[in-house]
Amino acid sequence: MFSDLSAQKEGSSLLCRPASEDQGPVFERMSLAYSPCSEHYRVGERSFSRQYAHIYAARLMQMRPLLTERAQQKWGSDVLIRKLCDLQTGEQCCIVGTLFKRMELQPSILREISEEHNLMPQPARVKYISESDELILEDELQRIKLDGKIDRDKCVTGSVIAVYGAERNDGKFTVEDFCTADLPLQSARPALSSDRFVLLASGLGLGSIHADSMLGLQLLVDMVTGQLGDQGEQSGAATISRVLLAGNLLSQNTQDKDATSKPKYLTKKTQAGSVEAIRLLDELLLQLVASVPVDVMPGQYDPTNYTIPQQPLHRCMFPLSAVYPTLKLASNPYQANIDGVRFLGTSGQNVCDIQRYSSMDSHLEILEETLRLRHLAPTAPDTLGCYPFYQKDPFILEECPHVYFSGNAPTFESKLIKGANGQEVLLVTIPDFSSTQTACLVNLRTLECEPVSFSAFSADDDEESEMNISH
Amino acid sequence: MDELYLDNIDEFVNDHNKIVTYKWLSLTLGVHVNTAKQMLYHYLDHKRKESSAQLHATYLVSGKFVDNGQTSHKISVVREDQLEDFKAKMSLIVSVHVYSVQKALLKDSSPLYSVDYDAVKDNLKNCSKYSAIHCTSAVPMSSLELQQRREMQRAPTPEPAVKKTGMNGEANLASKPSTKPPKGIMGMFGNKAAPKNQDSGKEVKLEQKEDAPVADAPKSKPAAKTNPMINFFGTQTAKKPDNKTVKVEEAAQTLSTAEQQHQGSQPEEKHEAAAVESPKDIKKDSRSKTKRIEDSDSEEEKMEKKKRRRIKKPEPDSSDEDVIPDSPQQMETREKSPSPVKEVESVSHSHQGVSEVKIRKRRRVLKSRTFVDDEGCIVTEKGYESESYSEAEDDAQATKQAPKGPVPAKLPASSKEGEKKSQKKMSANANKGTKQASIMGFFQKK
Repeated sequence: MFSDLSAQKEGSSLLCRPASEDQGPVFERMSLAYSPCSEHYRVGERSFSRQYAHIYAARLMQMRPLLTERAQQKWGSDVLIRKLCDLQTGEQCCIVGTLFKRMELQPSILREISEEHNLMPQPARVKYISESDELILEDELQRIKLDGKIDRDKCVTGSVIAVYGAERNDGKFTVEDFCTADLPLQSARPALSSDRFVLLASGLGLGSIHADSMLGLQLLVDMVTGQLGDQGEQSGAATISRVLLAGNLLSQNTQDKDATSKPKYLTKKTQAGSVEAIRLLDELLLQLVASVPVDVMPGQYDPTNYTIPQQPLHRCMFPLSAVYPTLKLASNPYQANIDGVRFLGTSGQNVCDIQRYSSMDSHLEILEETLRLRHLAPTAPDTLGCYPFYQKDPFILEECPHVYFSGNAPTFESKLIKGANGQEVLLVTIPDFSSTQTACLVNLRTLECEPVSFSAFSADDDEESEMNISH
Repeated sequence: MDELYLDNIDEFVNDHNKIVTYKWLSLTLGVHVNTAKQMLYHYLDHKRKESSAQLHATYLVSGKFVDNGQTSHKISVVREDQLEDFKAKMSLIVSVHVYSVQKALLKDSSPLYSVDYDAVKDNLKNCSKYSAIHCTSAVPMSSLELQQRREMQRAPTPEPAVKKTGMNGEANLASKPSTKPPKGIMGMFGNKAAPKNQDSGKEVKLEQKEDAPVADAPKSKPAAKTNPMINFFGTQTAKKPDNKTVKVEEAAQTLSTAEQQHQGSQPEEKHEAAAVESPKDIKKDSRSKTKRIEDSDSEEEKMEKKKRRRIKKPEPDSSDEDVIPDSPQQMETREKSPSPVKEVESVSHSHQGVSEVKIRKRRRVLKSRTFVDDEGCIVTEKGYESESYSEAEDDAQATKQAPKGPVPAKLPASSKEGEKKSQKKMSANANKGTKQASIMGFFQKK
């Protein structure tokens, strides 16, 4: 793909003496129409005095008509759709409601306080699912336990679904089938005449204690800005028309948890680790924005608010790069139209949270699941920090994106899925750059995605290459 | 091209013992990156032919790489001895060039990063000057453009904020317009300050005519403790109400001070109630020490009020710094404005101030205030509040109220003669609403 494209354009080799009077080629960066559409992820007035119940109410209210329609499509238009309060025992019907999974292992501050006296440190867990979990469906008024053909471990709290079945005598609802809201409608993607790319990267992890990944990062910057490589490579890089950094620009190490517990006089003269890291980021961004438009999303460890939607990083942190009009500080979740192709995605908190509370492990699978549920972050506000929205749940997908991504995944994965109404969505999990040294390129013309990896030699490379020979 | 650069590179590599990367060379000599790569190759080639002291080089290789069925574009920096191996592993080679030349054999690649980092850091302003890609839109903005842009960004921000509240259903939408910062300074004084102050101005004058001379001196003391902003309020409230004209004049002078004034005066108008109260307290101050302590308390209370009042400023934090100091002051109006109305009626308990003050009295009353909060819940809070009142005030109120109802109509007559006696009696059954506990209540009636 990208390699083939770059290799086609044969230029003069660089393994020769410089030709006289040759100033070297300069390619023009391909620029694209761009319109951000993240307005509804901006929180204007912040009021945290509200309770979270409103989000669930708003979510169910918004999703109910969608699910009713989907249920009628699936089980026939004459299917009986009941509210929980009208439910008759033994009657086959369909209920629309919000799932709640009662989980024994879910960390709870209340339990911690109540068990203060005989404190049992909870072991750190990767997943909080257990055999004793119970699945409950709630509507506006009531709740009912679910049983039957529904995968308890796969479901997460907060998803709005429609279930079909009947209530048994013991008060549980036996599910025969269920459906989700599935993909929303998609606007048509314009046919592009030439290949153009958007580079997605996440988890730069600046300020980490392992600085050995820095050359890889510099190579990434040099590749995008057209410094390294042959002419072919550089002309290929000129078609990268946008760079999207999906969160965790700073490393987790820059967050000093002790800072709040230490007395002030001890920390008076120490500088927060994030200060140096942000300066580094500013210099890095400067190199990028001088050559290509860059969108910067905040992530879990970046200096902005913690709860989603995370607001854009403040410009004042980037005195060098903020003077360029090409720097766009975006919110997380991110949504934008790039040359008619709609991008939507997050820095990965939503996916990581679902991973902890369900049996699903693959980030790509979870990403697809959230698209099918038509909700970016079903576990917010239950286990994922979220602003207390009141009348509207902004995380419900109203329009189907063409590229749906999540950042900070352990590995690169991508998949093109097709919806029932002809939707075509490219799912991408953007790998964490600091650990994988991999970014990815999305071709806007074909909606294909390809990883770009960077490597440098290190002291223990020799042994590695020997092993490779023995294979 | 003359081959002087060979000597240059030789000097860097051999004499300075530097690691010379193509990027460093390009920035140092001011040549196109591709030329720098070729120069390094030429130098290396040249030296190898001379077979002088050993040189080490690293190469950059990029191309298509297939791993477990996943094709990727791989870009690597490799040592010379690994070059052929590496090239063999690639399924398609896009580019190969010299990355760096140095005397020592590099164990790992991190020194390469530091060299480039230093070079880039010295040339931050034109780091992509010699690269092969030019981006027309990436032109740094001038400070003027930046400012315009910032203003443009700021202008639309209140809008989403308002939209948001609509979306999130703030119960206090009614109070919204008042918290919205007005466009111009004059607009602000013209639209809001003037009508309000005119209404209240009359009453305030009644009070302050007698208070003002005494008030000015002691005022400075408690005010000095507070922050400059409060100080500003304090002196203003102590002054005569016609200082609003002064304000306008001042505002016109410089923009920056105008900005401050604008914020400073805005909450003040909203809280003229508090402003009216303060002169009375000040009067007290001059009387007794104990009173002063009490008063400084109330001063702090007030400060707290003022601080809290601005929290709900709809402007998001992305706007610039002058919002920050005043942002904690917005909220107050919303929470408290409905309450004083009820305060007066629901005075459940009151007792006289201990000291025998001729004109001014002070009492602590248990007030319950009820207000509708953000969620639309009705919240009742009970708490002691100290308030002061005076006969003169009662008089003033009584006369004001006279045309309104038959009950207060009696008051002026009685107060004319046995002022002291009736005063006591009245304050005892003041809670009926037959009489205003303080002048504040009057304003709230509007």
